Amino acid sequence: MKTRDQEYRELFMAEALEYYDSMSRHLSELERNPDAGPALNELFRLMHNLKANARAMGFTDLGEVAHHLETLFGLIRDRERTFSGSLIQVVFTGVDALGNMIRAVGANQPLPDVATLLENLDRLVRGEEPVLDDEDLVETDEEAGRKMELSDLVYIQVKKLDNLLNLVGELVIDRDRIMTLAQEIDNPALLATAQHLFRISDDLQYSVMDARLVGVGVLLNKFPRVVRDVAAAEEKQVELMMSGQDVQIDRNILQIITDALLHLVRNAVSHGLETTQERLASGKPAVGQLTLSALTERDDVLIQVRDDGRGIDTEAVRRKAIDRGLTTAKAAAKLDEHAIWAFLFEPGFSMAQQVTDISGRGVGLDVVKLALDSLGGQLRVESEMGAGTTFTLVLPTSIAVKGALLVEVDERPYAVPLLHTETVLALHPGQISVVGGVLVTHFHEQAVPLVPLRQLLFDEGDEPLPPATKTDMNGPQHVLVVNYNNRRLGLVVDRFMRQQNIVIKPLSKPLDTIDLFGGVTLLGSGQVCLVLDVPALNRLFLNKRP
Amino acid sequence: MAEIEIASPAPKAERAKPAELVQLIVFRLGDEDYGIRIEQVKEVTVTPEVARMPKTPPFIKGIANLRGDIIAIIDLEERFRLRPAGRPLPERSYTVAVEAADYTLGLMVREVPRPFTLPLSQIEPPPEFVQDSSTRDKYLEGIAKLPEGGIIIVLDMRKLLTPSEVMRLPGKVASS
Repeated sequence: MKTRDQEYRELFMAEALEYYDSMSRHLSELERNPDAGPALNELFRLMHNLKANARAMGFTDLGEVAHHLETLFGLIRDRERTFSGSLIQVVFTGVDALGNMIRAVGANQPLPDVATLLENLDRLVRGEEPVLDDEDLVETDEEAGRKMELSDLVYIQVKKLDNLLNLVGELVIDRDRIMTLAQEIDNPALLATAQHLFRISDDLQYSVMDARLVGVGVLLNKFPRVVRDVAAAEEKQVELMMSGQDVQIDRNILQIITDALLHLVRNAVSHGLETTQERLASGKPAVGQLTLSALTERDDVLIQVRDDGRGIDTEAVRRKAIDRGLTTAKAAAKLDEHAIWAFLFEPGFSMAQQVTDISGRGVGLDVVKLALDSLGGQLRVESEMGAGTTFTLVLPTSIAVKGALLVEVDERPYAVPLLHTETVLALHPGQISVVGGVLVTHFHEQAVPLVPLRQLLFDEGDEPLPPATKTDMNGPQHVLVVNYNNRRLGLVVDRFMRQQNIVIKPLSKPLDTIDLFGGVTLLGSGQVCLVLDVPALNRLFLNKRP
Repeated sequence: MAEIEIASPAPKAERAKPAELVQLIVFRLGDEDYGIRIEQVKEVTVTPEVARMPKTPPFIKGIANLRGDIIAIIDLEERFRLRPAGRPLPERSYTVAVEAADYTLGLMVREVPRPFTLPLSQIEPPPEFVQDSSTRDKYLEGIAKLPEGGIIIVLDMRKLLTPSEVMRLPGKVASS
């Protein structure tokens, strides 16, 4: 197994060599046509990227040369310099030097000295003539004699990986089917082959998933700049600490949560953390601490945004929720702080500037919630007044395979993603009470509403469910407690089947408009099994509760 | 029913040129014969196990696994209100998988569908007066009159299978 360091170095090399090749190409273009705008822009961009990558990897000299060249191309682009005369020479020397340095990195050798080059570049930037010694004038045909190099890495479109993943998903479904059939037919040779197929496709699936994994750092490393900018705009002092950049996660998941994370971080700086004066007045260190960390928990990846700011003003949120008619004063009084914080993620809730000012939280936090819902993720909030707030995104490592609990209603299987399940209960009618037409039980000293899944799924129309009674309740009730946005809901099912990893296929048209289902999966028996979408079930229940 | 072959007497004898032929897949709904152009049909199969799909109109029987594709199964007798009283769909029914623009749907029918070839000229556009008179007639391509009597109602699947058509919930969206 390669170390992360090696892996990063290889990635750096692959990108750097590609940049270098493009630079040479664009330079030749520029030599033919000194006013070629696109080539100039490209060179500027390539230098910028190379600079950023080199600095992130700690190759300071390489970064410096790229930085100087970037500045120079910027000047040429702005027509303050022209691509002519001695400038051309220095630029070519500079790009050659970049190539040498990149190769030195690849060969693990010390980087060549570039002091003279940097001085010359500096002179050009200042508008002076470079000092060229003879060595520079003699153009060696080094470039022509050098071996051509092909990178050890291939770039691949994510789309191709998506396709591969879908195919593997199909394969796994058929594999499960073959496994079941082999067990039914009970032929030893067939069974052995099926088991072998099982192992191989498992490996294949793992490999494809692995190929899609990237370090969370890919995203986190973009944040120092964001934090600096927001902090500067808000005139706050913020120290950003990051950890867990190595934690691996599916690239598409990272893509989907990019905006959500950006939102949380901006929010934390502009609303969560106090100004320097406020901090000093409340006896805190002047510099606010913001922590971005990634860690793994079982099969999930957690990404945390933690600030040591003012925390959520729970009472202000409670009042706002009542004002906006999301709950009644009576009901709100009974809600604990987690249930109150859940209101922050209601669509539009936080748009009210007032709440933002009072509680310091919540501009468009529903965006965060939506992103997580689409992934089947969870959001956890911890906050203490005056001490700070932590938002934790709970994400699946991979989108392909999800752990699910299979339940049965009317002899049909339904799958509920484990990410949203909390516990299963077998309740005697005595443990269930009826409150305001809703079945309720107590779990961990919290009232949890119960609803028969059958009713939620099959009752037609938009009118509220009929008031619940306990009259037709016989024997223990099988209850699956699901949790969404800190709201618990107990689904009464006929029985629990088993826990299983499932491959979720999206519902095809025209059925994809029904949001109650996150998709469909095929069981080993060939049976079609609908995957329930817990957020949608929760919404349906809230809309239809008597 | 005997298949009508190319040799069947053309309405006009002087036409020497071979007439343009149309191949249909013909099935029975209620007491009438319906046809779909064969290009619109993906396959015909015994109806696989259908999982009921909550929150869909009653004519959507559910979803089924057709060679790894999950498709919606539709009961056209129910859709067009053609179901004869006291004649529920038999245990063993057949499914005609038809292709819409970007998805596949299964039509559930009670008898084995059969292929049928006839000259295009035998398909007449639907008479004016039935247009828009009931849901079914909006999806007609035409009506084929058979020489030995009887008709086949030719459906245009592309009009039938738009998502809004399929998902139209009775009572929710007033049918235009």
